[in-house]
Amino acid sequence: MSHQLEGRRGRWVVAAPLALAVIVALSVAGMATARTAKSCGTVTLNEQAWAGSTANTYVAKNALQMIGCKIKITQITEIPVYQAMANGKTDAVLEDWQHVDQYKQYITKQHSVVMGGSNGVTGHIGWYIPTYLMQQYPKFKTWKGLKGKESIFKSPESGSQGMFLGGDPSYVQKDQQLIKALHLNFKFVSVGAEPAQVARWSQLYRQHKPVLFYWYTPQYLNLQYKLSEVKLPKRFKGCQDDAKSGGSVAKYKCAYDHIVLNKVFSAKFAKSGSPAYKVLKRFSWSNKDQEQVAKYIAGDHLNPDKAAQKWISANKAKVNKWLGK
Amino acid sequence: MSAATDYAAPALVIPAQRPWWRGRVGLVVLVVLAILIGFLGWKNTRPWPDSLVWNALPGYLDRFQTWLSDSRNAPNPSFVFDVFNGFANFLDNLVSWFTSFFDKLTWVGTTALGTLVVARFGHWKQALGVLAAFASFALIGLWEESIQTFSLMLAAVGLSLLVGMPLGVLAGRSRRFNNFITPLLDAMQIVPAFAYLMPVVILFSVGPGAAVVTTMIYAVPPAIRITALGIRGVAPNTVEAAAAMGSTRMQTILKVQLPLARRMLLLAVNQTILFALSMVVIAGLIGGPGLGDVVTNGLYSNPALALLGGLAIVIMAMALDRATESMADRTDPARRHLTDRKKRRLRLATLACTAGVGLAVGLGYAFGAGGIYSGRTAQERLLGYVQKGLDYVQNPATWIFHITEPIGNFIVAHGLTPLNSFFVETPWFVMALGLVAIALIVSGPRPAVITAVMVGTIGFIGEWATSMETFAQVLVATGMTIVFGIALGVWAGESRTVDRVLRPINDVLQTLPQLVYIIPFIYLMPVSQVPGIVASVLYAVPVVIRLVSNGIRSVSPEAVEAAGAFGATRRQVLLKVKIPLARDAIMLGVNQGVIMVLAVVVIGGLVGSGGLGYQVAQGLQRNEFGLGVVASIAILALGIALDRTTQGRARTRQERAT
Repeated sequence: MSHQLEGRRGRWVVAAPLALAVIVALSVAGMATARTAKSCGTVTLNEQAWAGSTANTYVAKNALQMIGCKIKITQITEIPVYQAMANGKTDAVLEDWQHVDQYKQYITKQHSVVMGGSNGVTGHIGWYIPTYLMQQYPKFKTWKGLKGKESIFKSPESGSQGMFLGGDPSYVQKDQQLIKALHLNFKFVSVGAEPAQVARWSQLYRQHKPVLFYWYTPQYLNLQYKLSEVKLPKRFKGCQDDAKSGGSVAKYKCAYDHIVLNKVFSAKFAKSGSPAYKVLKRFSWSNKDQEQVAKYIAGDHLNPDKAAQKWISANKAKVNKWLGK
Repeated sequence: MSAATDYAAPALVIPAQRPWWRGRVGLVVLVVLAILIGFLGWKNTRPWPDSLVWNALPGYLDRFQTWLSDSRNAPNPSFVFDVFNGFANFLDNLVSWFTSFFDKLTWVGTTALGTLVVARFGHWKQALGVLAAFASFALIGLWEESIQTFSLMLAAVGLSLLVGMPLGVLAGRSRRFNNFITPLLDAMQIVPAFAYLMPVVILFSVGPGAAVVTTMIYAVPPAIRITALGIRGVAPNTVEAAAAMGSTRMQTILKVQLPLARRMLLLAVNQTILFALSMVVIAGLIGGPGLGDVVTNGLYSNPALALLGGLAIVIMAMALDRATESMADRTDPARRHLTDRKKRRLRLATLACTAGVGLAVGLGYAFGAGGIYSGRTAQERLLGYVQKGLDYVQNPATWIFHITEPIGNFIVAHGLTPLNSFFVETPWFVMALGLVAIALIVSGPRPAVITAVMVGTIGFIGEWATSMETFAQVLVATGMTIVFGIALGVWAGESRTVDRVLRPINDVLQTLPQLVYIIPFIYLMPVSQVPGIVASVLYAVPVVIRLVSNGIRSVSPEAVEAAGAFGATRRQVLLKVKIPLARDAIMLGVNQGVIMVLAVVVIGGLVGSGGLGYQVAQGLQRNEFGLGVVASIAILALGIALDRTTQGRARTRQERAT
């Protein structure tokens, strides 16, 4: 028993000074951060997973901080964030890829969320191949050139057919319908969420192999990889983009439309009279602007705040317009 | 007839050793052959008939969700929602109270508090571990996020144990309650969180409260199950003896059953922590702040940062796990005999620790350290290293890639694709009858009926083809999990060294968010389905290992000694004594293995396994609530069918007896 006690005292002798030493060392290394808040109050912005959304959120954050707002950032996924805005737990989403069902339910019916208009960026979805492949087969400029050449895109899971690499399951898509409607001999292969899809096509890109996949702009990776779009049939009236709406494949036989990316706000926030609401309502920039900031963040791994400040200091006029100066 | 033969007739009948092919194994092989004939003869001609599908279900579910949201967001919502609001607010406040408490302590004080609490109530070695953990959060540059996650976990794990342990005791004492609650627990663990995230958000809104609720749904079941197993493992004659000496029921529970089940209770705490931490990423999707967001956003724009975030989660899990273990060790009744001198010493230690925390907080304020560590971190440098590693993995010119790529392609071309078409293209009635027949042969009539109902449900809700696709993969993953899990579990149960090596690996596999290591893996084996299977095996194996090795080690030493006294070799002791006596734990291991494989089907959907996982993911992300729920029901049905089919005759008999 006494031996045990001796042991314990021994441990204390070791542990206590060690702990203190580390703590003191850490406290000398660390510094305090001071926070200030002014009349604007706290505004909650929602950031989503893709880099473009991070760019919007942090540029808006740093702009709003210039007029004394305190910013909180939530990171709630696309659909549940509507409920967050309905409860006033999140004030604004600065980039929404046309969630039509949610518009109907929360904006039109419940009036718990309000539409904030375009953020200036247009999204475009399409079929893409690496540019080196396009140079090798110039016929691939349009979908007709793919006909008969599908087997070039063969992969272990597509058997004798070519592989069409589908997009993130959470994105708007109709590629299975398009393949059927265009009578192409492709097997639609989904490799899951966007990071997984990127892993797959970028690996083939690195090996200089053929690959055809669902992709979109604006996307910071477009600055890193050289990709070319395969033209799909022209749009016609009533042509659908989202396979969710069902019906015959003929309804989908056209290129994806250009998508206006919207800002949406919590109704409570819109009615609050906060100066931040007016600023965010005016917030608008171009595809190029967004891609630039997204590349700072995702390509160059700059801290999002620093990336935003870098862009703001180079684009003062735009920011001042938002701020109403 | 002579008298002699009359006499001889009733003599000992020794059943002849039958060759394996005349036993159950042979029958199963026959059934599989029959299905194979069905497959080869009528391939792709008889999918599940449309007339036997109930199409309206997803629509009803969607309408239910719309109704729920509309009534929730109406100008004057019903008072029912106030109850949910109240509960969510309570949880929100609890979590933010923890966060601001740590904030007030400054990061220096928080570190000191964590370290000294463990030093005082646990063991100094673990205290140093906690110190290292806090220091690494600071060094990684994720202090704030780590503390947010830590606060969330404190609330979620605490509440899970508060709910789970009493229910576990109840389930351990009453077979009836246990039989009632088991399917519920199965459902809570198997139904993917993606399926119920939206209703949770509508009821509890977003934020830490909703995150705690979601985490609890997943973390309570292991607390209940393992507690119950521990209580049931206490020898009945001990309980009878306590009763004979006039103990009340409460006394029996508190003084006999709980102390004797200490080992298992400890495992329950440990597993609850690990299960809760494996929900960090999902909690992040609905506003549970902290490391989850670092991982999710990192995956899209900075994978190296996602890996660091995952690392912080793992460090937290290991520190918490070891710290709680050392604290529980101190409560061991065998070591609780306090002498006066010891008491005095402990009181002094308490004083010293309190003073230490006070000093640290004082120092923190004196040096102006805020709640968030914002000094120099090693993040940039660490990100550099990790990125280098990732770049290597992503480079298709390395020799590793030249080995891994063909392996992946081979598995898909010669394993998964044929298996997939076998399940999907066989005429539905042949496959259904075959599965039921196998359940009948292996486990008896009642499991067979349940399997039939489950298989029927899958077809009826219109998920036949997708379910068969998933089933093929789940079968492969489950098989691998059980083989590796039992083998390694037994080995770890026998050898302390193996246990010591495996334990940190298990912790990493159980808590590191799967996407963090599966996405780099895709670069090495760029082919769909394989990453999903790898993810499920790696996630499920640790639980099987833990339960099996614990079971092996919990076998009473008397039994082992007795066998040794009879001259049994080590192998004989293991095969004839330990494994049979640890059967309950091994069976629980197998069962949990199946459940865990199914629990990550959705992750599979996110990395290209298709099938049900893909549908569930779409359910949340594309607002197809009904579709997501229906796919989850199919996953659950698959799980129950698999569980019943594999339960074997013994458990069936046991259940009938009670």
